[in-house]
Amino acid sequence: MNFTSLSAPEIQNGLKQGDFSAAEVAQASIDHIARADEQLHSYLEFTPEAALEAAKAVDAALAAGTFDELGPLAGVPVAFKDNMNMEGTHTTCSSHMLENYVSPYTATCVERVLQAGALPLGKLNMDEFAFGSSTETSYFGPTLNPWDLERVPGGSSGGSAAAVAAGLATVTLGSDTGGSIRQPASFCGVVGVKPTYGVVSRYGVVAFGSSLDQVGPFARTVEDAALALNALVAGGKDRMDCTSQSINTDFTANLGDGVEGMRIGIVPSFMEAEGLDAEVKERIEEAAQKLKDAGAEIIEVELPNAQAAMSAYYVLGPCEAFSNLARFDSVRYGYCVEGCKDLAEQYELSRAGGFGLEARRRIMLGSYLLSSGVYDKYYYPAQQVRTLITQDYTYAYHKVDCILAPVSPRTAFKFGEINDPTSMYLSDMFTISINIAGNGGMSVPVGLGAESGLPIGAQLISPAFRDENMFRVAAELERCYGAAPVAPAFAQVDPAKAGE
Amino acid sequence: MLLQWLLHSLRSILQRLVSNVKKLEEVLQDWEAVIGLEVHAELTTLETKMFCGCKLEFGADPNTHTCPVCLGLPGALPVPNRAAIESIVLAGLATNCDIEQHSMFYRKNYMYPDMSKNFQITQGPVAFCMRGHLDLEVDGAAAKERVDLKEAQENGSYVAHIGIERIHMEEDAGKMVHVGGGEGRIAGATHSLIDYNRCGTPLIELVTEPELRTPEEARLFMQKLRQIYLAIGISDCSMEEGSLRCDGNVSLRRRGETKLGTKTELKNMNSFKNLHDGLAYEICRQAEVLEEGGIIYQETRHWDPSKKRTIVMRVKETADDYRLFPEPDMAPFDISREFVEEVRQRLPELPDQKAKRFEEDYGLSAYDARHLVEHRTTARFFEECMRLQGAGEVAKPLANMIINDVAAYLNTNPEITDLAQTALTPPRALELVTLIAQDKISSKQGKEVFAAILEEDKDPAAIVADRGMEQVSDTGAIEAVVDGVLAAFPDKVEQYKGGKTGLLGFFVGQCMKEMKGQGNPKVINELLTQKLDS
Amino acid sequence: MTEHVTEKDVRNIAAYVRIGMTDEEVAAMTVDLNNIIDSLKPITEYDLEGVEPTFHPIGGMVNVVRSDNERASFTQEVALENAPKQEDGSFLIPAILGGGE
Repeated sequence: MNFTSLSAPEIQNGLKQGDFSAAEVAQASIDHIARADEQLHSYLEFTPEAALEAAKAVDAALAAGTFDELGPLAGVPVAFKDNMNMEGTHTTCSSHMLENYVSPYTATCVERVLQAGALPLGKLNMDEFAFGSSTETSYFGPTLNPWDLERVPGGSSGGSAAAVAAGLATVTLGSDTGGSIRQPASFCGVVGVKPTYGVVSRYGVVAFGSSLDQVGPFARTVEDAALALNALVAGGKDRMDCTSQSINTDFTANLGDGVEGMRIGIVPSFMEAEGLDAEVKERIEEAAQKLKDAGAEIIEVELPNAQAAMSAYYVLGPCEAFSNLARFDSVRYGYCVEGCKDLAEQYELSRAGGFGLEARRRIMLGSYLLSSGVYDKYYYPAQQVRTLITQDYTYAYHKVDCILAPVSPRTAFKFGEINDPTSMYLSDMFTISINIAGNGGMSVPVGLGAESGLPIGAQLISPAFRDENMFRVAAELERCYGAAPVAPAFAQVDPAKAGE
Repeated sequence: MLLQWLLHSLRSILQRLVSNVKKLEEVLQDWEAVIGLEVHAELTTLETKMFCGCKLEFGADPNTHTCPVCLGLPGALPVPNRAAIESIVLAGLATNCDIEQHSMFYRKNYMYPDMSKNFQITQGPVAFCMRGHLDLEVDGAAAKERVDLKEAQENGSYVAHIGIERIHMEEDAGKMVHVGGGEGRIAGATHSLIDYNRCGTPLIELVTEPELRTPEEARLFMQKLRQIYLAIGISDCSMEEGSLRCDGNVSLRRRGETKLGTKTELKNMNSFKNLHDGLAYEICRQAEVLEEGGIIYQETRHWDPSKKRTIVMRVKETADDYRLFPEPDMAPFDISREFVEEVRQRLPELPDQKAKRFEEDYGLSAYDARHLVEHRTTARFFEECMRLQGAGEVAKPLANMIINDVAAYLNTNPEITDLAQTALTPPRALELVTLIAQDKISSKQGKEVFAAILEEDKDPAAIVADRGMEQVSDTGAIEAVVDGVLAAFPDKVEQYKGGKTGLLGFFVGQCMKEMKGQGNPKVINELLTQKLDS
Repeated sequence: MTEHVTEKDVRNIAAYVRIGMTDEEVAAMTVDLNNIIDSLKPITEYDLEGVEPTFHPIGGMVNVVRSDNERASFTQEVALENAPKQEDGSFLIPAILGGGE
């Protein structure tokens, strides 16, 4: 039996009808990972025992007739980005610094997904401390793009995107600080959601930019992503995270509503942006046309200050990261160089050896930007720009219910193709302003590039705390383009479907 | 710069060994001291830490009150303790501060191993409490130190109005033990051990304006602040255990000068006496350096009470750059008027108000009232007595007894925090005071009875009876003794009458001796003068 | 490219953030930082007169607090589980004042 291409409801129907057991689902996933991930390198740690243990509970519920009382992810194979704490597993953030760190506690997002009945398969590769757009900065080596093994899966949640694209999990969690869910989702041809800041608890997720980070799901279908988000908000506001809010939305509720009468915005300055590849632009314009054909009104909106988002982000992100990463000091946990003559030497050697180049760069940059005299030149203005960008979105949402935009200016690039940091930063040009303003955004597959033959994602951007709007549009695009397939090289012959 | 400073330090140490440092009162003739205090108080009366639910407990096994938040584990987030916010607002109201409507937490970034996150959560330019003040009544010898104040010189007392810049909320660091060096010192230690139990303890820091002018004012300020914090119940204020800590900034300028001098920061003043003596030493030290044409360096100095001097801890070449920025993990605060009023309802009677009430209700002098309320224990005891007896005539002598005898007893027995732990009950105290007021015993005998109550756990009357102390006030009996004494010393009587009136004391002494100390000295005095002057 | 930071600045920052660097690393970091800081220029050219900063995004949340109730702490063993070095229930660090200070 092949489960790798099944959606969450398909798995749950199969379980309820007795076609297979949760234990079989878990075991099949474990086997598939064992076969395929050596090549892909999306997982940093496997947790087969935990998955089988969770499956046992699901099967017990099936036997007891209480399956429907389980959560929205009952029996669904899941995996977590390796910046999320899960008690008893490693949380490395793909860094030498945390290579041997074992979590003594569990992140709220992980806890909620597990409580929803999911089967946890392991922890997923990422750019070191989420600094990057390709997973190339992972201390443990990059993850490959399942659509083309010579290319990057995007980042920083590259492992999360690749695992779903290759069928190595049905749902994964990632985190998005400037595009780290949406860009890899686009590169790997899956659905990736960055909810509004505050929708998902950040407690237990290793912080990069505290005012920008948000956790969200990857899945191959819009409905699976919506179910995962339902699981993440179940239980209400997390008391362990001041910025978490109480959300009572059922994100699956309007998936079938269509877009008739919806007002969908297009941002001309995005569509005309320098650096936007023609094949990407083509797909986004096509998507707009399909939405129009489905009854939506397409309206041009301007985000005049979005151009400043990039520089605001590269001020705010490093400033917060510099401070957040100060705790990695070789005293309580983490990489520690032994035999130093004093603490200063231990600090300097451990932090030099524990952090990769990009992490060191951002720490240095943040420290510089916050120093006295410099603070007023960059940090404070960046927070003022944040006000302007937020106002832009507020104004735009007077006219539209959702905005359609590119995710990334191009499709997945080859390993080593982009070397200098400032060029790499440009791959976030369409995603960053959403983190700055805090509202929700997601990537949904809209076919392959005419030239590259690689997946392209369209970005849907919701007003703050109206994340259901983008889900509704995403469901329509999915109807137009079909649900995201497992990347061809990883699609197994499904014995159940082989005979059809 | 550094070399110059080293040479200078060496020279000043050598000089100090040979020269006689001038006394504080002399120094203050020519120099004005400008003193500011930074006072940290741990909110020890709360159940849990500032940003997590770990229990606040002093003296537990190391690292048994820690969690992801206070250990600074990756991914942990702070959530502020509501009761701590209430406590700081209470402290602000009790020290006449404005409670700011909008404030935020900030991160103060510095790497030090006792601070688990390597940043301290504190507040920025706007603290919860801003612009307060305390008024200090200064009297006694130290009042004369204010040569600039006419009233201080003329009346021997004055009121100092000390501005409070702010009180902000922050978190304490963990504790370190330095191993391998001498006496647990950091210098020479081979390694250190860290316990994070204290890390994250709610801490409020009060910063005064640089408006204190003498070490005595600083001492009184701390004393008053401690009384207030104890009264509002936010901290146990133990200076020994470090739940109340004080740093001082001191600079000098010539009298009449308005420009501020370079300041030094003084640490380790963990008692009222150390605070006073440390500041006094530092003022004298600076004066000496300046008078010799030397330079004061901006440095942190450590008060060593055993050697009675301050020593350099570190030189600040540039201002510290802590990369302060708003804490992104926490929401800002909007403190509503309603919230402030709600907290104000919980404000108990403060020491100043209590003293005022004692003056008005019981006819006490301002001095007596102020000293009565210095300790919660004595103020409470006085009130219990008054409840039994009403104000009346005993209020004044009772207050005196409490300020002198009871306070002295409490000072020598610091383990006693409540007089209910002792044999001195309010009825016994009243009885004792009444015995003295009715001339049944002398006030000197009263002191003996006071000590006996505490030792023997008996009523004053019983003690007086046991010891045969009943004072003889019967004029007839005393007259016989007086006559006998005068007859026994005719030459002395002659001398007295010749103008040597100082001999009166001699006659009183002789009479008392005859009466084994039980004669009423007042009656003896009266009869003697009556007979001698006739 | 404007020189926003010199190699000396970079050394000072490295000392502050406690990251040891070789001379080559300092040189390369100086170039990288200057490039990145150059790219931040737009933020310095914006007319932001009278614009309030947004330090906390979204929702206008205020006064988020917890009640003063105890939660379970780690055992000492768990607290020290990841410690590189420990002794007597505490985290162990080398001398804070090394050598001849």
